[in-house]
Amino acid sequence: MKSALKMELTNQNLQETPNPESPNPRNTFRRVVDFCKKGIIRVGKAIGHFFTRKDVKSTLAYIGKRLILMVFTFLVIFFICFVLVRLLPISVDTGMKDQEVFYKQMVAQGRYVQNADGSYSPMPIMQQLGNFIVNLFSGGSNPWGFSYHIEWLASPDQIMARQLPPTVLINVYSMIISIPLGLGLGTFMALKKNKWEDHVLNVLVMLFISVPSFIYAFLLQYLFGYVWNVLRPTAESANAVGGYFSGAYFASIILPILSMTFGSIAGYARYTRAELTEVLTSDFMLLARTKGLTRAQATVRHAFRNSMVPIFPMILGEVISVLSGSMIIENIFQVNGVGGLYLQSIQTRDFDVFQYVSMFYILIGLVGTLVVDISYGLVDPRIRMGSKK
Amino acid sequence: MENEKQSNLVPASSFAANHPELFQKSKRDDAAMHDQAFETKPISYFRGAMMRFAKNKASIVAAVIIFIIILYAIIVPFASPKAHVDSVTYPNGFQDPYFSYALPYNSLFKGTGFWDGTETKNGISDRAYDIYRFDDSNHSPIAQDYGTEPRLVGTTMQMTHNIRVDSYAVGNKVITVNAATYQKIVSYEQEKGIYHTSKGIMKPLVYYTDNYYNDDGTKNDNPGYCAQYRDIMAQDLAGVNYNELTTAQTDIQMQINNVVDAMQNYYNQNSSIFYKLDAKVTRLSGTVYTQNSFSAIKTASDQPIEIYQKDSNGSYVYNREFHDDYTIRVDYFDYFTLIHGFEPHYFFGANASGQDIFLRLAQGARFSLLLGVGISLINILIGVIWGSISGYYGGTTDLIMERVTDIISGIPSIIILTVCSIQFTNNIALRQAIGTSGIYILAFLVAFVYSGWIGVAGTTRMQFYRFKGQEYVLASRTLGAKDRRLIFKHILPNAIGTLVTSSVLMIPSVIFSESSLSYLGIINFTTSGLCSIGSLLNEGQAAGLKDHPHMLLFPCLVIALLMICFNLFGNGLRDAFNPSLRGSDN
Repeated sequence: MKSALKMELTNQNLQETPNPESPNPRNTFRRVVDFCKKGIIRVGKAIGHFFTRKDVKSTLAYIGKRLILMVFTFLVIFFICFVLVRLLPISVDTGMKDQEVFYKQMVAQGRYVQNADGSYSPMPIMQQLGNFIVNLFSGGSNPWGFSYHIEWLASPDQIMARQLPPTVLINVYSMIISIPLGLGLGTFMALKKNKWEDHVLNVLVMLFISVPSFIYAFLLQYLFGYVWNVLRPTAESANAVGGYFSGAYFASIILPILSMTFGSIAGYARYTRAELTEVLTSDFMLLARTKGLTRAQATVRHAFRNSMVPIFPMILGEVISVLSGSMIIENIFQVNGVGGLYLQSIQTRDFDVFQYVSMFYILIGLVGTLVVDISYGLVDPRIRMGSKK
Repeated sequence: MENEKQSNLVPASSFAANHPELFQKSKRDDAAMHDQAFETKPISYFRGAMMRFAKNKASIVAAVIIFIIILYAIIVPFASPKAHVDSVTYPNGFQDPYFSYALPYNSLFKGTGFWDGTETKNGISDRAYDIYRFDDSNHSPIAQDYGTEPRLVGTTMQMTHNIRVDSYAVGNKVITVNAATYQKIVSYEQEKGIYHTSKGIMKPLVYYTDNYYNDDGTKNDNPGYCAQYRDIMAQDLAGVNYNELTTAQTDIQMQINNVVDAMQNYYNQNSSIFYKLDAKVTRLSGTVYTQNSFSAIKTASDQPIEIYQKDSNGSYVYNREFHDDYTIRVDYFDYFTLIHGFEPHYFFGANASGQDIFLRLAQGARFSLLLGVGISLINILIGVIWGSISGYYGGTTDLIMERVTDIISGIPSIIILTVCSIQFTNNIALRQAIGTSGIYILAFLVAFVYSGWIGVAGTTRMQFYRFKGQEYVLASRTLGAKDRRLIFKHILPNAIGTLVTSSVLMIPSVIFSESSLSYLGIINFTTSGLCSIGSLLNEGQAAGLKDHPHMLLFPCLVIALLMICFNLFGNGLRDAFNPSLRGSDN
């Protein structure tokens, strides 16, 4: 705490030293370079500081313990899901497709056996699990099985790779919008606590958190897409309009981005307000003001930073979950994303894809929780995760 | 320790010895001193919570709204006349396809253009306008005529009409009824004095049949309008009657056949049309006959030419009898009102198959609320038991139970729901035992109970950790209380406030999950006769948000209100039960 305060003070002195040189471009450039150098050195020092800390050993041990625990949990969940999904009856309603090809593949993977009369029947689940593990580690083709409704005999990881970009794009865009807006709004509300601005925003935040996101999705789609006709009501296919980073594609995913944004802006604003109001009333803020900082300086440098302790891990968790798409939003705006794929795999009963996407979601969830837990300790060294006392 | 106490005591007693005047008995001390009895009644924990809750205006309003929605969900399915139609004619509840997508109607707003079952249509062509205008039913489809407006159609400016169309004026329909129903209509009309008049329910049949030849192959002397139109068209195209066309003119014959077939179809489908139609359309390229758009032939006075069926005396024919069944042409709105005893008005509009959204939303809200409350109760029960054991015994028991919870919460409930619904549906014995709707309810129960109790268990566990080491528990244990008594009598009551709050807050989350899942069609209620708010949303999206926004509007409103109000109500309860937590996540 003491050293942090010291750093703050030196930091402030550095910035407030009046610059005697005239602001010509070369000097400005040098100053920018200097600033960057200093920044890099400071970050490097911080990292070095972290790894030379006494408690780093215990932190690493904690991370290792959590990782092992996570792998164990994942394996158990995987086992349960594997059994549950493989118990489901496969109906290969293939239309014109040759079912023999499908069953041959299944036999090759050790999932089905051919009976004497030429019909096929599934193997016992435990044998299937054994064969799956052998396939997975011996580098056999398509260890995760085949899609038989969504795309005939494609492997789930190929389909997944194809469906990931739109989901990631929409999530990243919505994060880029919602994090600064949410934090800003929360800060504003905390500074205006119990004034009319705060009350109005509080009501709005409460509304946006309570109302399910599909309701604003419908509202946005109806108003912008159909009544005023200014934006495309559904997302385009990226190939048709010239890639994921083309303007036309972006214009077509504005509505899904917006409908994902409202809820998370409200969420961030609520958390930031709660944290910041608590920090703003603490004693060190009084000290900061007493030593001569303006209200803005004190808020940004001391209060905001401290209020980030619980919020930063939340953001980190969100970063991990950009890979998982919202089924409802992707369904409403017809986005070809992961959420849509998951839904499609359930509706068409394409169980191999279903299993693959499920495991993907579970893994993201577990990794997200782990990263959030670990980051608490990294953000605020006072928090010793997993400490005995 | 002993010494310290001793040294503390000594100065006190010496103080008393040194200042005897301070320790003299006063006169008042002679009277026995008692605490005065409270004149007010003690306030119990719940009473205090109630009083704090009553001060929270937002929560009170929320509670009132929830109460209104609950009343709506209970009363409407019993009180609505549409809920009491006979189940033989309507096995899946009331529906009438003629009123599919009817717009919301509220008699208070009649004629205002808002919520009165009408919608504005702009840019109506002359031809379409005539079809709206010439109508021999008792209810004109044009609720209001805003006049004409020049509008660019293709490349030419045309005068188009702006009108407000009444979605309940479905016009006349040709239906077949049994003798009893026919007698009912006749006696009603005679009683009202409108029997066989233009105001009656029954309208004259339209004679548009395409009976150009008699059965013996000779030309019909009294042909229907479509048959007449063969001659009109043949005269126009070839200058002769249809039957005089030569074999070289088969292409003209084909064209006439196609147009007349299409026209007869058009008459079949639009029983409101009682006048002569023309298939001739003037385009830039010249006059052509079309098969898909027909216009009314008008007299010089801008009136249609009726083609009612007449008998040999020249009077109108109102029915066609066949084996005691009567085929009649009726004004469908009035017919409906007479047969069912209530007007076919839909407060929230109708869906694709003409079901009442007001009624179905009430049934859906009832289902969603029951599911939410039921699942919350089960979750609370399991969570309390699990959390109590885990928190009270601690140690290894706690560790193992926590790991089990971790694994359970790692499996998304959507997997459980999918697996359950597929496995249950495939299980024939189960399906016969509890029916299709029972299977879906069971699947929901399993999927939501499966991981829903974990939150409650966590809360309860925390409460046990807080209270189990306290002195009063130790005292009770010393007096010989068993574990069960300690858990349920001494520790658990401390958690009651938190539990009430979390159970109330669980209801909206269950309702939300259920409606999301049934909206996405992961659970599909269509075959089971059940409906939830989510399945109404699903129907609304299938019908198209662009064309039928009313189908989504009302379910969305109700679910949004439920979510907001339950959250406000729950937060109010939390503040009331735990005043120290007030505003902790605002």
